Amino acid sequence: MSWPVAELDAVARMRVLAAALPGAFVAEAVLDAPFDRVWAVAADLENELPRLLRTIRSVRIVRDDGEDLAADITGHFGLRDSFDIVLRPGWCVMQSGRVVGGMAAVAEGSGTRFAFLGAFRVPVTRPLGPVLRLAGRPLGRGMHARLRDRVTEGEG
Amino acid sequence: MPGPEELVRAAQRGDALAMQELLGLLTPYVGRLCGPIALDDGPDAAQEALIAIFRNLPRLAEPAAIYGWARAIAVREAVRVAKRSRRAVLADLAEVPAAGNPELAVDIRDVLDRLSPEHRAVLVLRDIEGLDEQTAGELLRVPAGTVKSRLSRARKSFRKEWDR
Repeated sequence: MSWPVAELDAVARMRVLAAALPGAFVAEAVLDAPFDRVWAVAADLENELPRLLRTIRSVRIVRDDGEDLAADITGHFGLRDSFDIVLRPGWCVMQSGRVVGGMAAVAEGSGTRFAFLGAFRVPVTRPLGPVLRLAGRPLGRGMHARLRDRVTEGEG
Repeated sequence: MPGPEELVRAAQRGDALAMQELLGLLTPYVGRLCGPIALDDGPDAAQEALIAIFRNLPRLAEPAAIYGWARAIAVREAVRVAKRSRRAVLADLAEVPAAGNPELAVDIRDVLDRLSPEHRAVLVLRDIEGLDEQTAGELLRVPAGTVKSRLSRARKSFRKEWDR
């Protein structure tokens, strides 16, 4: 006799993480491509993050211990930041002293539900939380559109 | 790898990597509590419970108490979500077939479907978590006597299933 267990997929867990981080936004969309193809693009941080996020110029992985990575990320405005990263299939969280980013993906029918998360790690974000969440929506739409393009380009 | 206490402390300081690690530890635990209470609404209940847990985490004074503290939030959220859902079956236990009746459910899901969310919560706390009636009552904010009567009524009807 076994008790029913409630399962929580990676996108739902990303919603929880977003709720836990003051001022975080999370943007979700369903992409018309299978999980493996979508995640192959998303998980290629060095090559794809600069394409998905317009503020990023380059990503250089400086440590790779299985699921634990570290990367130096340079922005277009000269900002340079070191990130600690957890990367596993369908789940990625990256954190520097100033910023948190996340990606989660789960198969949904023949497509893939994909979530982006973004948050600033500065004390002012708590009172500004609702404003930042609103501001994140168009940002999320842009990232999903570029991810969709990259997955489609990968097919050709 | 850091233990739950260290992860709680780091998460309380706003460390998102510690938060996601703690989330990975707590999700299966919360899922096991919310599943039998909220049934089809289990995933919603687990998500809402985890949001409540992580939003309130900065106020947890004793990181070592994380599992007991999370359990209390998860069980209350699961009962709340199950009651909110119109799918909750609030059949009186008196209407439930007696043990030995050929209509008696053969698996635990059928048994749980016949109970109210509060009865399911009592069974989860006793049978999965092994709490005594006093502790279960405190957690559910009902007198221990109420827990005892809910439990004995449920057990009387379903002794064969629960005792397996």
